[in-house]
Amino acid sequence: MTQAKQPAANLRIDGQFVEFQAGDTLLQAARAAGLAQRIPTLCSRQGSAPDGGCGLCLVQVKEKDRPADSATVVRACATPAHADMDVLTQTEEIRASRRVTLRLMCTELSPQAATRLHGGGRHADDFWRLLREYDAWPTGASVSDNAACNTDSAHPYLRFDPDLCITCRRCLHTCEDLQGQFVFGIGDRGAATHLLIGAGDSFAGSDCVACGACVEECPTGALFDVDRMPGSPLAQELRAIRSTCGYCGVGCGIEVMVADDRIVRIDGAAESPVNHGHLCAKGRYAHGFQSSGDRLTTPLLRRAGRLEPVSWDEAIAWLADRLQTIRDAAGPDALGAMTSSRSTNEANYLLQKLFRTRIGTNNVDNCSRVCHASTALALSKVTGTGAASASYADIELARCIVVAGANPTEAHPVVGARIKQAVRRGARLIVIDPRRIELAEWADVHLAPRPGTNVALFNALAGALLDEGSLDQDYLDNRVDGLTELQAFLAQQDSALAAEICGVSAESVRAAARLIGAHAPTLFVTGLGLSELTQGTVSVMTLCNLALLTGSVGRPGGGMLPLRGQNNVQGNADMGALPDLFTGYQSIHAPEVREHVRTLWGVLPPEHPGLTIPGMMDAAADGRIRALWIQGEDVAQSDPNTTHVRNALSRLELLVVQELFMTDTAAFAHLVLPSAAALEQDGTFTNGERRIQRVRQSVPPPGNARADWSVVQAVANAMGAKWAYEDPAAVMDEIARAAPKLFGGISYARLGNEGLQWPCPTPEHPGTARVHADGFIRGRAQLVAVDYVPSPEQCGDDLPLLLITGRVLQHYNVGTMTRRTPNSELVPADLLEINPHDAQSAGVQSGSRVRVSSRYGSIEVEALISQRVEPGMLFLSFHFPESQTNVLTGPYRDPQSNCPEYKVTAVRIGSAGTFAKPRIQESVL
Amino acid sequence: MQGNGERNVPHSPATMRGVRSFFADTAHGSSKGRVCRGLSCHLARAADATTDESGLQPVYCLGYCDQSPVWMSPENYVVTGKAKIAPASSSVRALAPVPIVTARLSRGDHSPLQKARTAGAYQALATWLHKPLSASGRSSGSAALLATVTRSGEQGRGGAGFLTGEKWRATANIDTPDKFVIANGDEGDPGSYIDRLLLEYDPHAVLEGLALCAFAVGAARGVVYVRSEYPLALRRMQQAVAEATAAGILGPASADFPLAFDVEVVAGHGSYVCGEETALLNAIEGHRGEVRIRPPYPSAVGLHGQPTVVNNIETLVNIPWIAAHGAEAYRQLGTEHTPGTKAICLNSGFAQPGVVEVEFGTPLRSVIEVAGGGAKDGKSLLAVVLGGPMGSVVTPAQWDVPIDYTAMRAAGIALGHGGIVALSADTDIAAVIRHWLTFMVYESCGRCVPCRSGSREALRLAAEIATPADRAGLDSLLQMIALGSLCAFGRNTPAPIRQLLALLP
Repeated sequence: MTQAKQPAANLRIDGQFVEFQAGDTLLQAARAAGLAQRIPTLCSRQGSAPDGGCGLCLVQVKEKDRPADSATVVRACATPAHADMDVLTQTEEIRASRRVTLRLMCTELSPQAATRLHGGGRHADDFWRLLREYDAWPTGASVSDNAACNTDSAHPYLRFDPDLCITCRRCLHTCEDLQGQFVFGIGDRGAATHLLIGAGDSFAGSDCVACGACVEECPTGALFDVDRMPGSPLAQELRAIRSTCGYCGVGCGIEVMVADDRIVRIDGAAESPVNHGHLCAKGRYAHGFQSSGDRLTTPLLRRAGRLEPVSWDEAIAWLADRLQTIRDAAGPDALGAMTSSRSTNEANYLLQKLFRTRIGTNNVDNCSRVCHASTALALSKVTGTGAASASYADIELARCIVVAGANPTEAHPVVGARIKQAVRRGARLIVIDPRRIELAEWADVHLAPRPGTNVALFNALAGALLDEGSLDQDYLDNRVDGLTELQAFLAQQDSALAAEICGVSAESVRAAARLIGAHAPTLFVTGLGLSELTQGTVSVMTLCNLALLTGSVGRPGGGMLPLRGQNNVQGNADMGALPDLFTGYQSIHAPEVREHVRTLWGVLPPEHPGLTIPGMMDAAADGRIRALWIQGEDVAQSDPNTTHVRNALSRLELLVVQELFMTDTAAFAHLVLPSAAALEQDGTFTNGERRIQRVRQSVPPPGNARADWSVVQAVANAMGAKWAYEDPAAVMDEIARAAPKLFGGISYARLGNEGLQWPCPTPEHPGTARVHADGFIRGRAQLVAVDYVPSPEQCGDDLPLLLITGRVLQHYNVGTMTRRTPNSELVPADLLEINPHDAQSAGVQSGSRVRVSSRYGSIEVEALISQRVEPGMLFLSFHFPESQTNVLTGPYRDPQSNCPEYKVTAVRIGSAGTFAKPRIQESVL
Repeated sequence: MQGNGERNVPHSPATMRGVRSFFADTAHGSSKGRVCRGLSCHLARAADATTDESGLQPVYCLGYCDQSPVWMSPENYVVTGKAKIAPASSSVRALAPVPIVTARLSRGDHSPLQKARTAGAYQALATWLHKPLSASGRSSGSAALLATVTRSGEQGRGGAGFLTGEKWRATANIDTPDKFVIANGDEGDPGSYIDRLLLEYDPHAVLEGLALCAFAVGAARGVVYVRSEYPLALRRMQQAVAEATAAGILGPASADFPLAFDVEVVAGHGSYVCGEETALLNAIEGHRGEVRIRPPYPSAVGLHGQPTVVNNIETLVNIPWIAAHGAEAYRQLGTEHTPGTKAICLNSGFAQPGVVEVEFGTPLRSVIEVAGGGAKDGKSLLAVVLGGPMGSVVTPAQWDVPIDYTAMRAAGIALGHGGIVALSADTDIAAVIRHWLTFMVYESCGRCVPCRSGSREALRLAAEIATPADRAGLDSLLQMIALGSLCAFGRNTPAPIRQLLALLP
């Protein structure tokens, strides 16, 4: 992969000289030369090993210096190209063979099926086109029962019409070689051979994760989906808009296919370096929320206790007036803003600028506070920047991957799929997670520490690396501080005690350390299982120790790759929605930065740091904060300790919410402003590998909904600012000036379709795939010697179980978007995962309603018996407002990052109805 | 071939269903037993079709072609003939001046280790393992053995006739300790049963050949794959491995046998195609028994992705003799192009059925007419089927060809496994064509369209082949199946069927 291919030599295809690369097959050589049309194939999938089944790619080959009668007929898909081969693709014999083979395929298909309109993906016409060219048509000669239409339509998205299947296996290869899912099989043999789906020949109930990639590959239209149904608009009626997915922080490139200002379907962008055309169940299919009937379409102002529609002019004037009135009465620090990680960089930048310049407070924060703040702080302290050091492309380069506290196949599916393929190609995999997540089944070693004991485990792993002598001494000498201190600290650690604390055997710790050491540089893929703990920041720092000891950071195939939760959570922090940092992580205290900001913004923001999100909630509860502007975030469902949050929201004098839907949080608002969704506006998102990517408007927003950035500008101007950004591109130009070291070279003109990875300081700079390659941003990296400290949240006699919260594949965050799509049919509710052992002792069965109670609240949910969780452990997602999962989570936070501890909550379970209903403030709507 | 056999990758329900439904035993095994549908049994039954065979699992074939027709009871006992009695011992003869393959076979059951060792088993192995080492370690002995096998000119007996030494060298040249050697005991060719006899009555010869191969190529693990249609062979081989391991011959290195070599016996589940070496690798790994695309070749990327030698049973049984007597002694036998001997199996259609070991170079006619005594019951022979379903239909005019890979290839004749089935003058050739195509439809792995759909379409056409035009249509389809099929099964099975078509009056 790293080796650049050298042109090997020439061969001739139908007399035309064709250059090919060593290792190419004849088919690859023909494709590279633009001669793909001369060699038809239905079974060959680019990126998979040759299948050879369809038999259509036969060509005649004569090797150099051999007599004419030595010519042989071979499969172009499986025959290595040699120099001076003479390849003929259109001889009478070859064409006759193709005709016979196509007619043989036609004996498997019924004429009735052929007359149906075919839906499907971009290859769905390949077969039918060949039939027309070679004069063949389904005869059903060997089909015994061809009358019925047997389409599998039990799945919310995917369809399979077996009467159109030629068993070419492209779907199977795609599923295995792209998604790593093995949903398809081949049943029987001989003429009875047919495609199998899951355990029961239906997508519903199979292991299918609805990535939809198979639909794109199917050459007959036997596989299709609800967005690619027979009768869907034709290609010429569609407009394709290249944009960026608005779900998780992977940031997949998408092509939005639009007809009549309506989203018809979403395709993966083949040339995107992020996803290479692949998508997941959310990105490809869960776009229906966009046209959901309950979108907010007009500003709503609370009058006499009710939210009533008002015009934008009235809303903006009212809001500007209220903000100024409260500022004048209670001082600027009585107001605060939470910028949205779903919104664009431009909207984030402008809202923090509004608060810093028009109101005069640093009370701006973003939701990464309640997810990856610990990660960002830890990486910043250790390396000098809080973002990922590596890129997704390092997954393919890595020889060893550690996935710690992340569940990529559910929460970051395209990255999860890439990790699976890396393992299939031979990369070693270590999974560190209390749950037996899907990737744990693929792992060489799965370490399942008790929730909250990461630091003890990572110190034990560091100790094992030292014991094994698996250090990169040169790297440490030249680039890293703190080795002596760490060695001294680790020498005093008791490995047996550590193993006991974590509940992980010393042998498996050693086995993992050996792999990490032997296959370094190692790639560390991390998630919220590290950061959302009271020891969140030091969890990440002690994991960084492993990366530094093995010389992994800044090396190809190595480094730190935290997976960011939301589409623009990286950008949101980058833009300066942080109470102690300006745009581009510049300190609010540094004199030269302050001078730069004053010149650029015309106003000097205060020098004292503002409040974090949890801090603002506390301050709202006790009256210090009187006004909050919440941009696209449902804190009443997503933030921990819901009861406290709702209490705080209800006490505000002014709550303004920019939203797509009437969320639990919006129900508390005094003013609700309808937002444009990701597919309805222009702007940029920054993904988890620091890639700033274009978002392009595909359809108009519904009703009077408006892009967040333009609303912020209108309010600022109503407050006396003279902002005149014509479009988001103009905002980005200012962002580039605000933080030139990171973004100085960024402009819409340069972003194109692939985006740019920051740091990108100048217009000539190509962007940075791998940070710290030539030295750490902070100079030398820092090893840390920190001891494990137990969380204050501990089990007790009456709270014997530990609850972990997290996500499932089909839903996204609090489900505002995915619940309004057929993904809700795939997963209709949050389910409490419980180990069979605990389920038996509690008398719980799958499907039972159970009551879960913590020190902070109590909820009822449905149970799912699962081996994914160990005895003593429960798992619950937080996607559905009905569940109120965060009623359970508690008040504890990481003291450094202020990130809440979502991942450890002591609970007990009982039968539903045995406790009083939780006291949740009812909606005040 | 990707699939669920890779490291760490979990098995999925669809993959498992696919594997189960592929193999005859797991897809539709019958509690009522099996009926052999090999060509020899087909012909025997055609002469006397009276028995009720409904509910029996069809099998191609049980390997008792010298005693057709045969059945197998649910308890895996073979019965033969109208009276359905236990089969008699097969006749094993040698026309070759020095018998190699049948040396012990012709003298009864040598499956007990003690009896085999008394008759010389494992002596060649012990001798080679004790040759002095060179300074560089193991290499001198193994390199010398590899050189000996290469010089002997032995060619694989599975049908392709590839040089054994070359095959070994490709694997020996790869520098990894993680290699496999495999004995291919999936003798599926109807008409051939020498491998069954060797597995049942001389399993230690197979194991000694396999151990010598492991020594020569530097492998520490071996597999003997035995088809499920040969239950006695499977049992005998399992016993033989257990005994040889207990005796310190196999398993960890011992003083007498300083070679670390573990052997596992793997049972097949009913698939003709698995006799092909890459399909066999897939079957051992738990996949569908479909062929893999080459390159890469198993010698480099074989079982579990490791370099692997796959040798036919008869091929391996030659090895101890070559190791003991040397390449030159071996080359004294046979022809310049094809040294050694070949065990030929004659079916029950001959006056004197059984195994005959002949020197390569012996004319086919002398085997048919002298050793076989011509067709039984004094009938005349229309032709013989040589080498199973991928072999050749050979008419009397061609019988003077010598049994020799090179000479036969030049004459357009495939020797295959060396089984010969008599087609007497009263044979219903059209019925044989339909029988042959039924076999092809049943055993096609289903991977490629020309074989999968072509065989079914050909069988449909074969229902009506009275006129030359009908035959021409079928013949042309068979030609296309041969041209477009992915593996040897689809490429080579049409040829003898086309030869049969030509025999139709």
